[in-house]
Amino acid sequence: MTRPIDLSMNEMPFPPPEQVVTAARAGLALLHRYADQRQLDELKALLSRYAGVPTSYIVPGPGSDYLLREIIYAFSGGRKVIIVSPSFMPTVQKAKQFATKLVSLRLSPPAFRLHPDMLWDELTEPALVIIDNPNNPTGTVLLDRRTVETLVAHEDVRLVIDEAYFEFSGVTFADMIVDHPNLAITRTLDKAFSLAGARIGYLIAGTPFRDIFAAFRALLPQASLHAAIAALQSVSYMEDNVRVIMAERDRLHERLTGLHVPVYSSHTNFLLVSTGISDIASRLRERGVVVSDVSNQCAEGSIRISIGRPEENDAFIDALRAVLG
Amino acid sequence: MVHRKRGKAGMHMKRKIGLIVNPVAGMGGSVGLKGTDGDSYKRSLELGARPVTPLRTGDFLAHIRNRADIELVTAPGVMGEVHIGDFGAPATVVGAVTGDTSAQDTRRIAADMVSQGIDLLIFVGGDGTARDICDAVGLTVPVVAVPSGVKIFSAAFAFSARAAAEMVDAFIDGTSVAEQEVLDIDEDAFRDNRLASRLYGYLLVPDVKRYLQGGKECSSVTKSAVETKAEVASHILEEMEDDTLYLLGPGTTVKAIADAAGIPKTLLGVDAIAEGRLVGSDLNEESILALLQKFEKRCIIVTPIGGNGFIFGRGSKQFTPDVIRRVGRDHIIIVATPDKLVKLEALHVDTGDFQLDQVLAGYLSVTVGYKETMKMEVRG
Repeated sequence: MTRPIDLSMNEMPFPPPEQVVTAARAGLALLHRYADQRQLDELKALLSRYAGVPTSYIVPGPGSDYLLREIIYAFSGGRKVIIVSPSFMPTVQKAKQFATKLVSLRLSPPAFRLHPDMLWDELTEPALVIIDNPNNPTGTVLLDRRTVETLVAHEDVRLVIDEAYFEFSGVTFADMIVDHPNLAITRTLDKAFSLAGARIGYLIAGTPFRDIFAAFRALLPQASLHAAIAALQSVSYMEDNVRVIMAERDRLHERLTGLHVPVYSSHTNFLLVSTGISDIASRLRERGVVVSDVSNQCAEGSIRISIGRPEENDAFIDALRAVLG
Repeated sequence: MVHRKRGKAGMHMKRKIGLIVNPVAGMGGSVGLKGTDGDSYKRSLELGARPVTPLRTGDFLAHIRNRADIELVTAPGVMGEVHIGDFGAPATVVGAVTGDTSAQDTRRIAADMVSQGIDLLIFVGGDGTARDICDAVGLTVPVVAVPSGVKIFSAAFAFSARAAAEMVDAFIDGTSVAEQEVLDIDEDAFRDNRLASRLYGYLLVPDVKRYLQGGKECSSVTKSAVETKAEVASHILEEMEDDTLYLLGPGTTVKAIADAAGIPKTLLGVDAIAEGRLVGSDLNEESILALLQKFEKRCIIVTPIGGNGFIFGRGSKQFTPDVIRRVGRDHIIIVATPDKLVKLEALHVDTGDFQLDQVLAGYLSVTVGYKETMKMEVRG
């Protein structure tokens, strides 16, 4: 049986380079040991150089979801928690257990813009604001510098920006971290670095956030740690792949537009498509293509398609064309 | 949904467009009736209802840009002819009407217009009118539906009279057409105190989705939806103040609040609660205004219509512009289940008062759970 083409998880379709696989194998040989502190320090140093912030501002962790969950546990108590909708940060729902109130700011199509006025009215009490930028599943960049500056100017605000797709958008606020201790950024090597199976995330943050992790020693899996170090030593491989994916994303966007299927602009490695066909995901699956059904958060028949290899994207278009008749 | 491509209109080719107005559509709203079908029309006149369609039709006709490209044919008298002054160009009258107008007149004249080769049929009315048009023309010609009824749930309708005018312009510019649903409240379910809309048929409509109101979805009755409504109700009851008048609009989510308080509530009517007890049931505008005079603090509680997101102007016309202005934007409480909201692009208002619609536009919070809100864009 032919394996379906999986375009549902926003992974890179390209495997990591040979030296990363070799490094992961070397890590496997050390499975009887916890990660070595020197290697954790090396990872922090590489992440620090990559993000352009001092090493002390970096906290690596087993996936950015984990880091985010810890922040929510620590900061949502007695605060209003503000998020955007649609959004795919499952841990954010945990905030309801502790927060005084959970506020979702609904992004409206077709622009899916986060209007700053939506935010300002809500900042009348201590708040934890969590925004994915670019947003998943819309692919939209929601924040600009002015909005972030205004947000962090509120002393009672803790702002967390998830930059999981930074490598595709090129938009970051990491340079503001040193001056704004109430700002934190979460990132991941899962996406652009082709390391979804390694689950390495990292936090870029000032003291209040880092204090949560003061007693936390990042006991990262050996293979993941070794792979991450090797990947950060050869950033150009990732950059080349990102360029390929972005070109493919634009090509796919054009082809969908040609089919008169509503598709939104994206600054990520996925596209949000509104087909209006309620069972579109299962009908594509029947034709061997797996996409993410996001109609529980967006309009009926909405799907999110991760950008794959050219031939995978073509297969998706063929399957969609067959469904559309 | 089926899309049908159309060629762009030729430079000098006029489009033959028909106009039919239901002169009684929308009259029941301000007097608390849920339509003007049959006896309800006479009852609305007795209660002092004023015609709504002249204003709507005038607003619509005045905002069509491509008038020079239109050869207008119209129904006679109050069914169209009397509004031609707002169009500013001559029109040919089709058919004749004697005595009171009826649904049969709408169906007969629409069929006559089709046989005379119209390219597009415009009608002003509500879901009842849409059903008559559906019976008469089916999918033979495209239509533009201008909302003026009390019960407007069909996706075929434009958001507002002005949006309808833009749809006519888009049609003349060559926009393709697509099938859109014609719905109505299921009368059997209504009597059973359930809010259920049913599919009646389809009409072909210029495919400009941003001007269309989605069809009303039946509220979900899954356990989780029921639980969510109970959660919403619990939060609202906790926030309620004794010295405040609460005007509860239609819908199952609002009814859940009354249910939780042990207070009877009509499903499609407006009811009033104060100091934990019912102070008015199935109210019309007049009785609402009388109640508002008795209370210094007052709130409106509404839920958006599933599928199209209207909080004012569809299904709850007892909340007239006067009522809404007296209560004030800051005292409008919106409740909904999240599953209903995520299907909406935005919330909508079409009160019939353009300036009030602009005041209501912007962003409003919707209570979607216990201590949980979703802030939504409101489009006027």
